[in-house]
Amino acid sequence: MSPLSDSKRRVLVLALIFCSGGGLLFAQEQSATANKDQAKETFLRAVAQSEAATGISQCVKEIFARAAKAVVKIHGVDEHSEICGTGFFVDPAGTLYTAYTVGGEAGNFTIEFGGKKYPARQLLADIRSGTAILKIDQATPTLPIGKSEELEVATPVVAVGYPLDLPETPNFGMVAGFDRKYLGRYFSTTHLRLNLPTQRGEAGAPLLNMKGEVVGIVVSSLENNSSCYAVPIEAAEKIRSDFVRFGEARHGWVGINVSEAAQPVEGSRAEMTQIMDETPAARSGIKSGDILLQVGRKKVTQPEDVLDASFFITAGETVPITVMRGNQKLTFHVQATLHPASRTGPLVASPGTNQAIPLSLGSEVPRTP
Amino acid sequence: MDEFNDSEIARLLRLKRYEQPPPAYFENFLHEFQRRQRNELLRQPLWRICLERAHAFMLRLDVPSLASYPAAVTAVLVCGAIISLKIYQQPETPHVALQSPPALSAPASAEGEWSLASPVAAQFLRTQPVRSFHESAQTHRAAPPRYVLDSVPVSYEPTFRF
Repeated sequence: MSPLSDSKRRVLVLALIFCSGGGLLFAQEQSATANKDQAKETFLRAVAQSEAATGISQCVKEIFARAAKAVVKIHGVDEHSEICGTGFFVDPAGTLYTAYTVGGEAGNFTIEFGGKKYPARQLLADIRSGTAILKIDQATPTLPIGKSEELEVATPVVAVGYPLDLPETPNFGMVAGFDRKYLGRYFSTTHLRLNLPTQRGEAGAPLLNMKGEVVGIVVSSLENNSSCYAVPIEAAEKIRSDFVRFGEARHGWVGINVSEAAQPVEGSRAEMTQIMDETPAARSGIKSGDILLQVGRKKVTQPEDVLDASFFITAGETVPITVMRGNQKLTFHVQATLHPASRTGPLVASPGTNQAIPLSLGSEVPRTP
Repeated sequence: MDEFNDSEIARLLRLKRYEQPPPAYFENFLHEFQRRQRNELLRQPLWRICLERAHAFMLRLDVPSLASYPAAVTAVLVCGAIISLKIYQQPETPHVALQSPPALSAPASAEGEWSLASPVAAQFLRTQPVRSFHESAQTHRAAPPRYVLDSVPVSYEPTFRF
């Protein structure tokens, strides 16, 4: 190889410098384009999030505007002081739901609705479901009833209540869980745990899904009032249905004690450990040691399932109970009797005194048909 | 008057004949007069003003001629009686506050059960009426209302029984 002349070497160096400069410029341009794309993507994402937030806000506004007309402030007097809570109408004849803590043990109810106050009477108070039903003699707007079964964890929900002495207020949150137990105590039926801020005075507030349908009733708060529990609306509807049919809440009872079995049988760990004497279960032929598979339409896989399955049993009705005895699957048709917890008589308002009085003064024995 | 003879006075009057006060002098005269009179009056201490007015009032009624020992004694006795009546008729509020709470916890239907207990307890319960919602409303009207939202649900199940 002959050595390059000075002129050729100079040209080669210049060409190298030119090429490297061009390469640098190209790389820079590519990098700038990539950054621009990334910025554009971020911007579009922010716009989408903003639109979604605006959409949710608009949705909550619409739900609140529709629901607030049927949500009322309840005043009552118990033996300690005047109490204030929230309720909502569920039929156009003035029937309203509230929490038991508001409408269960007080009297002299007054409802603030449409800028006016109306006297109200207690139709029913059921401590087991944690709800009470009041009524005013007035045509009222109503809230549509939804299905709490359609809720899932993280489903957005809205509650409308009257906190303290403030006007009606929307609360927005989401379903945090479906609990059967809280602080070592089992609920009578599954409660909805909500990450939804509530204040005092909002007991009895309706819990609404994003269609504006009632899916629960706020009954209690959790720590710091940042969360709360709501009774599923189906539980309240069961009580209302009992009231319409029988004039009282009729919780069913068959007389079976259930514990956890050592081994699952047919997918169930709910073992019947005690059949109480002189109960419908004892008369039906169900035996201790049977594994519970189904109560009515509710399948049972663990002892806790009994809570929901039994809550919806109505005294006087026949409920099919499917069990596994050895290798044999048996179905017993048991006529439920009145739950021992339902000792108080049906409560019907007396228009004169505006207080609830028992419909029947006799014992609870003849209630089962 | 001795210093001025008639001619001197006449001269002075002639001198003052054509002098006139400012135009608004007589409009404000009465108000100004009363203001100065009030200022003069208020220079005295309050107790002296009151004393003077009372003195003037008594003189006008001619009280000294009516006053006598029997009248004074009677007035003192009447005043004493009125004051003592007011003192002894005041309510004994502490006793009421102590007695009322147990009555609130006594159910209406418990009267029969308590009649078998000691006479003191039965008498105590019977004398206290069970409070109704109407009475509660009146009693607690001044108290602030209780805004309800309990921290614990009211319903729970002891075991898995159904």
